[in-house]
Amino acid sequence: MFILTEETTDPNSLRFLPGQPVLRNRTLEIRTRKEAAISPLADRLFQIQGISTVVLGPDHVTVTKHESDWQHLKPVILGAIMDHFVSGAPVLRTAAPLPIASAGRSTDVLTGEIREALRRVIDPELGYNIVDLGLVYDVVAADNGDVVVTMTTTTPGCPATNYLSEGARACAASVGGTGNVEVRLTYEPKWSIELMSDDARNHFAAQRRGRR
Amino acid sequence: MLGTTLSRWTMSYFAAALCFLIGAEALMAAGYGFPSAPLRAPETLLLVHLVAIGWLSLLVCGALLQFVPVIVARPLHNDTLPLPALLFLIAGLAGLLGGFLQLAGTFTANFSLFPFATAALATGFGLILYNLGRTLAAVRPLPLAARFVGVALISLVATVALGGTFALSLGLTISNPLALKIASSALPLHVVAGVGGWLTFAAMGVSYRLLAMFMLAPELEGGRPHMVLWLGTIALAVTILGGLALLIADASLSPALLAGGILSLAALGLYGADVLYLYRARTRRIIELNSEMTAFALVSFAAAAILALALAGLQRFSGQIGALTFLVLFGWLTGLGLAKLYKIIAFLTWLECYGPVLGKTSTPRVQDLVAEGRARGWFFLYYAATWVATAALLASFVLLFRLAAAAMMLATVAIIIQLIRTRLLLNIHDLAAFPAGVHRPHLLVCVPESS
Repeated sequence: MFILTEETTDPNSLRFLPGQPVLRNRTLEIRTRKEAAISPLADRLFQIQGISTVVLGPDHVTVTKHESDWQHLKPVILGAIMDHFVSGAPVLRTAAPLPIASAGRSTDVLTGEIREALRRVIDPELGYNIVDLGLVYDVVAADNGDVVVTMTTTTPGCPATNYLSEGARACAASVGGTGNVEVRLTYEPKWSIELMSDDARNHFAAQRRGRR
Repeated sequence: MLGTTLSRWTMSYFAAALCFLIGAEALMAAGYGFPSAPLRAPETLLLVHLVAIGWLSLLVCGALLQFVPVIVARPLHNDTLPLPALLFLIAGLAGLLGGFLQLAGTFTANFSLFPFATAALATGFGLILYNLGRTLAAVRPLPLAARFVGVALISLVATVALGGTFALSLGLTISNPLALKIASSALPLHVVAGVGGWLTFAAMGVSYRLLAMFMLAPELEGGRPHMVLWLGTIALAVTILGGLALLIADASLSPALLAGGILSLAALGLYGADVLYLYRARTRRIIELNSEMTAFALVSFAAAAILALALAGLQRFSGQIGALTFLVLFGWLTGLGLAKLYKIIAFLTWLECYGPVLGKTSTPRVQDLVAEGRARGWFFLYYAATWVATAALLASFVLLFRLAAAAMMLATVAIIIQLIRTRLLLNIHDLAAFPAGVHRPHLLVCVPESS
């Protein structure tokens, strides 16, 4: 894989062209590590010290730095982009609309409350909540309180799927200030144990016999 | 549709299967059939079919009706057919057992029951094959586990065709020379297709998926499990098709059995490596009872493979085929079946009862429906008794075998009591575990509420 690098008008920004589509027909600007959770590629780039913004375009990835110099950053960024595309991971965890730019403080609060409420939904097989298991990929609230929860299940076709999505819908709807709730099931990307929170992973690693 | 629904009649299949298992163990404890009677005596044939069709085939059919839709993430082709299929299978099995009783001289009649048994069993299995086959046929590409099931279903066709030929020849209703040749010599092929192809291949395929699911291990999709699939499929084809070709040519079946056996051992070796990897790579460090007890079944399977090699090396294979078959049927397949039932019944019951209120109120976990401490000792007894019984068969110690069979029956009854307690939610003592809208389930039928 060969990645071209282009300078931009901003000396703090560099454009990387991996020679394959990045985001089809759209551009997404990601400004924080938290926002980067939606994209495995951006997440990987935000792990590099000194990165302030990542823009994912149809055929490019533009990275803006706020410290350090390109001589040190460029090889690390090239390596991260290369690793991402070689891994086969998707650029985005979900195909859901991403109104991050329009999300104000109130919707942030609402999505936070909904995520907290979704911890009441327990995956019946694993006996642990769906948020910490990493089954909830995204919660997006519009200004009018309408909510889209994008989630998956541990196994496609699991008989619990419909109950889990209905449970998540009911739970999200129970949060005050929530309008219509839509639950979107996706298997792109497929769930894996790497998506579990540290708490969940420790729980399964440290379970003791006889614990109920 | 991303999620699949609960199979309404799966519990009925399980209940019928468990009744037949208890019946078979009671007969063994009572000294009916092998080793008290010769290996090919009608009494032994009755016993073997009680286990192979009554217990294991009904168990596998019931499980596949639920899990094939899960494996391929599509609903079952037809939800109505499982009940008539079950009734045909039970009626056919009753006819078959009656036919063997006629052969044994236990009762006489002016007509043979074998033609009726053949027709009913072929219809019952035909309905299962049609339903599962149509469900699988709608999916491309087939996931790995589904490919194993596909090969198992093709092996079931071979098993039923060969078995039907035997039954019709015993009922004296055929005179075709080729069919009579098959009836007289193809018994090993019938056993390989039934125990190796149908029951074991289905169990291996489903175990790849269930072990990964229940132990939080990464799903295996690489080259080695595909090699297991291909080697196993070629082994079955070489044995069954090659064996039939040799039989038609009036030659000995031995080359086909030997070639198939070597290929099978290679496939089993790779399968063993995959299973070990799944156990080692699991995230769930302390595994649940079902996975723990599945390990004993897998050990029995490995022991059977080693025993087969040892017997072949000592040239005592044909003399000890009864002990080897017993270990495969009871140590491997029955052990695996009981261990997985322990989980599946809890899981399906949870979904039926608590699925509709999930997220609306607090619910128990699947694990809260079982009392593993009570069941663990009975599982240990079951496996210990099975291994003792195998040793008793190898040593021709009939009384010890019967005592061990009685212990197996005792353990099985105790495990069944635990399964019933799970199904009826009797292990949940907290009244808060019964929120509004949750009812005790029916023992034999899944009646899921729409969510």
